[in-house]
Amino acid sequence: MIKPIRYAETARDLLEEMDFYGIDEAVVFHSKQRDDSPVVGNKILMNEIEGIERLHGTLAILPPQTGELGSLENLVETMRAKNIRAFRAFPAEHKYLMTKTALGSLYELMIERNIPLFISVNESCGGISGWYLIEKILSDAPDLTLIVTEHGSWGHDRFFRPLIEKYENLYLDISRYELDGGIRDFCDKYGAEKLLFGTGFPKWNPGGPILMLAQADITRKEREMIASGNLQRILGRVKL
Amino acid sequence: MICSDLIKEFMEKGRSNSCPVIDMHQHMGPFQGIYFPNPSPEDMIRTMNRCGVKMGVFCSHAALIDPEANIEMAQVVKRYPDRFRAYWCINPNYPERIPKEINQFSKMEGFVGFKFLSDYHKYPITSPRYKPALEYAEDHELLVLMHTWGRSPYDSPALVEKLAEKYRHVTFLMGHSGYGEWERSIQVARDYPNVYLELTAAYAVNGVIEWMVKEAGSEKILFGTDLPWFDPHYGIGCVLFSRITDEDRHNILHRNAERLLQPFL
Repeated sequence: MIKPIRYAETARDLLEEMDFYGIDEAVVFHSKQRDDSPVVGNKILMNEIEGIERLHGTLAILPPQTGELGSLENLVETMRAKNIRAFRAFPAEHKYLMTKTALGSLYELMIERNIPLFISVNESCGGISGWYLIEKILSDAPDLTLIVTEHGSWGHDRFFRPLIEKYENLYLDISRYELDGGIRDFCDKYGAEKLLFGTGFPKWNPGGPILMLAQADITRKEREMIASGNLQRILGRVKL
Repeated sequence: MICSDLIKEFMEKGRSNSCPVIDMHQHMGPFQGIYFPNPSPEDMIRTMNRCGVKMGVFCSHAALIDPEANIEMAQVVKRYPDRFRAYWCINPNYPERIPKEINQFSKMEGFVGFKFLSDYHKYPITSPRYKPALEYAEDHELLVLMHTWGRSPYDSPALVEKLAEKYRHVTFLMGHSGYGEWERSIQVARDYPNVYLELTAAYAVNGVIEWMVKEAGSEKILFGTDLPWFDPHYGIGCVLFSRITDEDRHNILHRNAERLLQPFL
């Protein structure tokens, strides 16, 4: 809802921003998917990125019980037609519970088709309550591929490390993983498979994670996995 | 990708010979709410070497909590005089100790001034409890690094303005640049020669560095990281990839700090 200081109005503007930073491809959502109804926002996103191979869209979910996004079969059909390979959840803004009762059938669909779910613990459910939510999602659906973004810079390792050890399909983006020595420490303990490059643009300055990853004290192979390899693997196994 | 000699150098080597970084907002040691891989002075120096940070000015986490710990910082500066200077933390919850602390401070080397952490100590920076420290800083032309946060009842940019008006010989560093209340913070830094915007955490907000440079000028911006909290490369990357000139980047990353620290080196 809060207008960023700098942002991309259109998909073409976003591509120009990505060129400025040297970013080839990105997983994206439109702010109206969050700030307006997902019914409206999902369509805007799909229209905006149509035919642009560098941008990989994500569809905002809602509990299927209200039927606002159509049947699950129709949803998959739309994703197949528009080459969308991921979902995104904004439970706080869109007011729903991320429980098996509300989202069980969607979880089953995502697991069956290896569709990843993105969720920001900064925007939708920050701090300690956000991580309780992440554990709730994963305890309900341990085989779900869950990508937690923007987990915040003020010390979240004590929150997420126990979850990383328990749930093999949990991934974190590094857009706000600013902890000095954090990436190396994480890779030494868990490997590089669980970390994904992200910027949080337009809210956050992409220059931070770019230089941090470029100079992280890890191997070239680990750097490449975080920069692109891990995400390509996740999106490559989606079955639509 | 954006083309700049500095960006190229930092992306390839992680540091720059022509642009040595000075970090004006550091801490040290473990802390309650966070796991640090690199909290010791030696850990921090390793990080600083990796990132091309030639000097850091710190206030230990211990000193933020316990006034007795201030003295220990002098030992760190004595051990690494080319790498560290320190801020003496004034904790207004112990007002009876402050005159004695200022007396101790006056006899010690290695400090550049004071640190106020008002949002955590729960006294506004304008509280009379800070007066002895501010008057001493005024008389001796010291630096005061204040944690500042937008719309805080303790350390908002509006409160900084009141101090800047009154203590013209104190150099006020607005830690985190009054996070969130950008317009007001920038205005205070622009209007008062003795107020600087300090970038810790603020650098992550996309577009804010360009805004500060445009309105307050790069001469009024200082680099900081909260180390051992944040990887200096993260903050440096935010400065490098902002739409400003290399001259601005030099000002922010080291030149302004060199000017302010000169009397204390």
